[in-house]
Amino acid sequence: MKTHTIRRAAERIGLFTTLFLATLTLVACASAPLPPTESLNAARDAIASAEQADARRYAGAELEEANRHLAEADQAVEKERMTEADRLAKQARVAAQLAIARTELAKAAAINREMGRGAEALDEEMQRQGDQQ
Amino acid sequence: MTILSFLKPVPGLKTGAVAVLSSVLLTACATSPTSPDGSEDVRAKLMELQQNPDMMTHARIELRDAEAAVQLAEQPLDDDEAALAAHRIYMADRMVEIARAKGEIGLLEADRALLGEQRDAARLAARTREADQAHADAESARSAQADAAALASREAEELQRQIDTLEAEATERGLVLTLGDVLFATGSAEIQGGTNQNLEKLANFLKQYPDRNVLIEGHTDNVGSAAFNQNLSRQRAESVRRFLTGRGIESRRLSVYGYGFERPVAINDSATGRQQNRRVEVIIENRE
Repeated sequence: MKTHTIRRAAERIGLFTTLFLATLTLVACASAPLPPTESLNAARDAIASAEQADARRYAGAELEEANRHLAEADQAVEKERMTEADRLAKQARVAAQLAIARTELAKAAAINREMGRGAEALDEEMQRQGDQQ
Repeated sequence: MTILSFLKPVPGLKTGAVAVLSSVLLTACATSPTSPDGSEDVRAKLMELQQNPDMMTHARIELRDAEAAVQLAEQPLDDDEAALAAHRIYMADRMVEIARAKGEIGLLEADRALLGEQRDAARLAARTREADQAHADAESARSAQADAAALASREAEELQRQIDTLEAEATERGLVLTLGDVLFATGSAEIQGGTNQNLEKLANFLKQYPDRNVLIEGHTDNVGSAAFNQNLSRQRAESVRRFLTGRGIESRRLSVYGYGFERPVAINDSATGRQQNRRVEVIIENRE
């Protein structure tokens, strides 16, 4: 009876040790999760490109959205919620890419308007000259 | 340790792996696949772009990427993965919008080529018109010049012809037409016969050249007193003026002088010389 109790106690100790070790390891690993550096850098690069393209003027809302996502991603990193941080960083990047695309679109449209006006003005000028003759 | 390391959570699971897993799950649960809420909207937006041939031409790569993102967003997920579903839908939505923007940029650039062509065409038309105009101007200037020159030469010819007809003499004072004394009876200021061919020609000439004024000068020989001759010469000149005003020439264009025998053109000691001195000179003044 006594030996039985001892064996059970030893078994229990072994189980506890295993559990304890496992928990320890898990805690150790969880305390140092890697931040999504790659996504964060990609997001920052994209935002910098957008700003360089003058997106603040042509696609301000999209650029602001990208910056908001990046700030949220940084906050998530601080809270060690890395999966969330990664997603937010990716959202920041795609928002910045959209800002760039819409900036290019606005610029292209402006060029076309200018060209259209030029051609119209020329046509009108021609018309005027034609009328004078 | 191998067991422990297996237990280690893997941070940042690759979406590719998720996709593969989801595909496996999808295949496994093919009987009841439900896409996350909101993915239909993104799919609809994408389809709209895919059905537009212009978009397919100008944003082929972006549409392909968007298609992949939408497919990922459509993967069914467990209820506790709503955040992941929302993330995928967000990504898909923005990629569709990027594709739309790229497609529109492509269209604008294509339009630009067209606008450039239109502008070139307008320019070309302008230049052609200018060139035509310049050509026409030069042509008309040339012909106007030619016309003017031709007219001037015709006029000069005509004047010369008239002068020849009048048998007038071109001098510094103007054209001098000498009407001999045969025009008048001796001692008389009346024009003989009422008409005279030379005077008719003179009247016609003055009608044709209304800007020319005329001096009519009467001259005599030295027979008789100076006062008599002066008076006679003036009366003869007056007779000529009357004749011309009778033909419609304005009298203000006609000035009359009587010089008597002051200005002989020949010596008065012979009959021939005296006859030459008895004359009326009509001087048609040169144009200023």
